[in-house]
Amino acid sequence: MKRFFELTRRDLKVFFKDKGLFISAMITPILLLVLYATFLARVYKDSFFAALPDGFTVDPKIIDATVAGQLISSLLAVSCVTVSFCANLLMISDKANGSIRDLTITPVKRSTLAGAYYFASAASTLIVTFAALAFGLGYIATQGWYLAASDVFLVILDVFLLTLFGTALSSCLHFFLSTNGQASAVGTVVSAGYGFICGAYMPISNFGAGLRRVLSFLPGTYGTSLLKNHLLGGVFDEMSAVGFTDEAITGIRESIDCRLFFYGREVTEPAMFAILLGAVLFFTGLFVLFHVVFKGEKAK
Amino acid sequence: MENVIEIRDLYKSFGTVRAVDGLSFRVKSGELFAFLGVNGAGKSTTISILSGQLKKDAGEVSVFGHDPAREKAAIARRIGVVFQTSALDQMLTVRDNLRSRAALYGITGEAFVKRLSELSELLSFTDLLDRTLGKLSGGQRRRIDVARALLHSPDLLILDEPTTGLDPQTRRQLWNVVNDLRKKTEMTVFLTTHYMEEAADADYIVILDAGKIAAEGTPLELKNRYAGDYLTVYGDAELPDFGYPVEKIRDAVRITLPDTGAATELILSHPELFRDYEITKGKMDDVFLSVTGKDLTGGDGR
Repeated sequence: MKRFFELTRRDLKVFFKDKGLFISAMITPILLLVLYATFLARVYKDSFFAALPDGFTVDPKIIDATVAGQLISSLLAVSCVTVSFCANLLMISDKANGSIRDLTITPVKRSTLAGAYYFASAASTLIVTFAALAFGLGYIATQGWYLAASDVFLVILDVFLLTLFGTALSSCLHFFLSTNGQASAVGTVVSAGYGFICGAYMPISNFGAGLRRVLSFLPGTYGTSLLKNHLLGGVFDEMSAVGFTDEAITGIRESIDCRLFFYGREVTEPAMFAILLGAVLFFTGLFVLFHVVFKGEKAK
Repeated sequence: MENVIEIRDLYKSFGTVRAVDGLSFRVKSGELFAFLGVNGAGKSTTISILSGQLKKDAGEVSVFGHDPAREKAAIARRIGVVFQTSALDQMLTVRDNLRSRAALYGITGEAFVKRLSELSELLSFTDLLDRTLGKLSGGQRRRIDVARALLHSPDLLILDEPTTGLDPQTRRQLWNVVNDLRKKTEMTVFLTTHYMEEAADADYIVILDAGKIAAEGTPLELKNRYAGDYLTVYGDAELPDFGYPVEKIRDAVRITLPDTGAATELILSHPELFRDYEITKGKMDDVFLSVTGKDLTGGDGR
């Protein structure tokens, strides 16, 4: 156990001291913040106001809170996965710079090494994503706070599960990579593409039916939806209280992916949790399986 | 003397390239064993197989009586490796690097502090402990690499080109430490090097060429077999043609002879010509060139 903790500590220290790794992990969240701050927030807000029926007035604070909830849920949904891919780059850089030889020459088991990479990657990603969550909650408070304690708890759970999902997924993909070039290519594809396919950059409801069906098979989509539901649930309750009709609220929820459908059937929140948890277990199991199947030859 | 390493008919290929081609040798306990060859001769592949990092294709390998492929943990506790290039974490401090590696051998807490103190004094890096590894000079980094390999007091130290690129002072310091440890602990040293003067101090030498053993023996045996002798005659005496290569040097003439017997014969047959002279054995460089046809920088010597 001491070996595991010492390896984990080493992995964490290398991640936070390696400016390249740390900065690449922070690029996506920072870029998203800049995008939202410069124009996306305004675009969302204008579209909400434009969608209101003529003569219907609403406290701007509710709209601000809605836009803030969308912004922060998107930011968190993308960060949990892209940051974990960057945090897990250590697994590849150790192969690329030869450090892995120095680790595998010791009596430490390969499973301990893999476990430490997984745990350290999850821990460093959680440090970054929880920091982003704290920032996000602070931002929501300035725009309009409608969150209950249970909402905050569920958002924390969402971030935790999505981070584990990102860690497990990146562990499986990175297992087969051994050069910084390969890592960079995967990192670029994930950073650029994940936000779209999980519905963070643009609601999936805006896509065509075929693409929506494909995306409904991806677990990350449900993670984004969970975050939106939990960060916006209080705002929807407030909308109901100030006179929004149920139909209008349902329409808004659908338009921003709070409601998702799998072959025409609405996916409930417990089902979304189950999908996300199942994905974490599946990819973690796959990672363990890779180590069992490719034991030995990977020592090269 | 017990065999620390035994290799019989070892084969390893990477695709169509045969890196190790039927290698067999033994390393005895406590000896300094030199494993020579140009780049790509199969030295590092053999080391990777010995340390359990690479699977062999065929053959038998035993390190301390254990098969590295199946009993790696038993071997790992007893070997230390200084890799060709540093495999430590460049962005961590020396102390953090050594602490994280020591823990992998179960050396933690007070035991680590004590061992770190011993090694930092032995290799003179006490003042570098809190410096970032990547900011140290090549020589300083190499000392830390050696300290890392010695953390768990190994019985077998594998040095893979440990002194390449180092200044003479650092090279001498490293060798003093290794030689001291050999005397005190009877540690076995398995060395690959490009410096022939380091190999000349070995107890036994194996010269590898294209994955196969090209020559093996003690330095003396190899010199006698492959390098010949030099007979240096001082002064400005005019020498007749003896049928051996002759080279004029600053204040003497050097005759290259096949062996010491030929030198003795020459002197006895022309005692009047040899008043001030010296017989020297050939160098390990000559042995290597003669055996492989290559110099150790990888070029073709012939």
